[in-house]
Amino acid sequence: MSWMLLVNHIIATPWKLKWRAPNTGMCNRLSLQWHRRQLGWPCVLFAGKKDLIDLPVLNEEDLDEQFVRGSGPGGQATNKTSNCVVLKHTPTGIVVKCHETRSVDLNRKRAREILRQKLDIAYKGEESELLKQKKETMHRKQDKRRKVNQNIEKKRLFKEMLYSDQGDKKC
Amino acid sequence: MMFKSVWFLRRLMQRYGGNSKQRSFVRLASGAAEGAVASPVDPGSITAEQAVRIWAQHFKQHGISEPLLSSQYIVAHVLGRKTLECVERGKLRDTLTDRERERVWNLCSKRLTRMPVQYVIEEWDFRDLTLKMRPPVFIPRPETEELVGLVLEDLQLRWGEMYRTDLRCLEVGCGSGAISLSLLHSIPQLRVFALDQSQTAVCLTTENASRLGLQDRLDVRHLDVINVSNPPYLLSQEMKSLQTEILRFEDHGALDGGSDGLSVIRPILALASKLLTERGRVYLEVDPCHPPIIQKLIEERMLGLLYLETRCDLTNRPRFCILQKNGKND
Repeated sequence: MSWMLLVNHIIATPWKLKWRAPNTGMCNRLSLQWHRRQLGWPCVLFAGKKDLIDLPVLNEEDLDEQFVRGSGPGGQATNKTSNCVVLKHTPTGIVVKCHETRSVDLNRKRAREILRQKLDIAYKGEESELLKQKKETMHRKQDKRRKVNQNIEKKRLFKEMLYSDQGDKKC
Repeated sequence: MMFKSVWFLRRLMQRYGGNSKQRSFVRLASGAAEGAVASPVDPGSITAEQAVRIWAQHFKQHGISEPLLSSQYIVAHVLGRKTLECVERGKLRDTLTDRERERVWNLCSKRLTRMPVQYVIEEWDFRDLTLKMRPPVFIPRPETEELVGLVLEDLQLRWGEMYRTDLRCLEVGCGSGAISLSLLHSIPQLRVFALDQSQTAVCLTTENASRLGLQDRLDVRHLDVINVSNPPYLLSQEMKSLQTEILRFEDHGALDGGSDGLSVIRPILALASKLLTERGRVYLEVDPCHPPIIQKLIEERMLGLLYLETRCDLTNRPRFCILQKNGKND
């Protein structure tokens, strides 16, 4: 199955796909979107928690990155544990602060992901991916609920029919 | 390097004793070194947030570096998370259980002795891995994460999609195994040979490799390369037939010593010269003053190595030297 192969590929070289986003973002978007249309299967299943595919691509030149790591010679002479990353998107002025992990490298990546989501909301408003996903999940829940109710209704009717049959037989 | 001397602790005590009016809560913590510095009184019932604040204040009063961060990391660790940001808002306002509170007090008391946070909680993250930490094995620095990024970038540029199935790396001075394990984790075809002059480091690297399931592709040896001018027979034999790219060597403090400061670099470069295949590379993480020294050494000694470039770290200091073994036609 083609989507299974895609999953394996991503797992084998996650560092390559994810962190290459700034330069190869376009290619990733196109190829994954093609799969999406082909299968009608939301890419969110194998793109991670959020749908990274349609989020805006970041230009490193637009970013101002700061590490709250304090002064000092750095390197092996110091042992600073502050790995907080502050990322500012200069064109829009949006600032993201990330201290989710104890690794500077991971915090940088997460900060960029969060920034992409924020930019998406800023640019697209109602059309943003986050809101679209929320709507989609809500619709899916509603559909499910409707189906469950329909099933209950069918069963009820069936039972009624059964009892009424039995009633007829008795009479 | 990591632990202050008793003299310093005594000075601290004098300063502390002089302000006894301000410090009405004293209780000698059972874990404190030399019984010197006291912990705040255990208040019995306390939320996570309050614990963070109390200890941050206490660390600050005692001149512990990064007082708030230390407190946050320790409390988060006790609550099973990596950073305080990852703990749910509600949980922060919950009262700590007796066990949790005891643990926080225990660990924070260790931090009071100026033990680095990484040794206190006995773990730390490196890129996407979590590694066990143990004194006195060297704690991986953020700059080293950049080195791994550099190597991965380089490998991708050179080999692209098709990784050679026989890709090999040698790491001299592996410490906790951060670099080796990070590379092994990212490159399935890679095999690594790691060396360290400390047996504790060798054990720790082996332990971390097992925890991450990477032990099959890693070979860790206890070897002091600095005092061995020629690579030992076993090493040469195993490495000769394989493609090798040497990685950085651990230079903390070592490059500083020596009469000409080059007593460590020479054997390392000689090793590189012997073991590397054509166009194989050496990646060194160094002190900002070293690149010109290394460049000069390469030129003088004619080791068949080419100095490719110096790269800076995120604070824009020269940090990484990349060398390459000449090819036959170079």
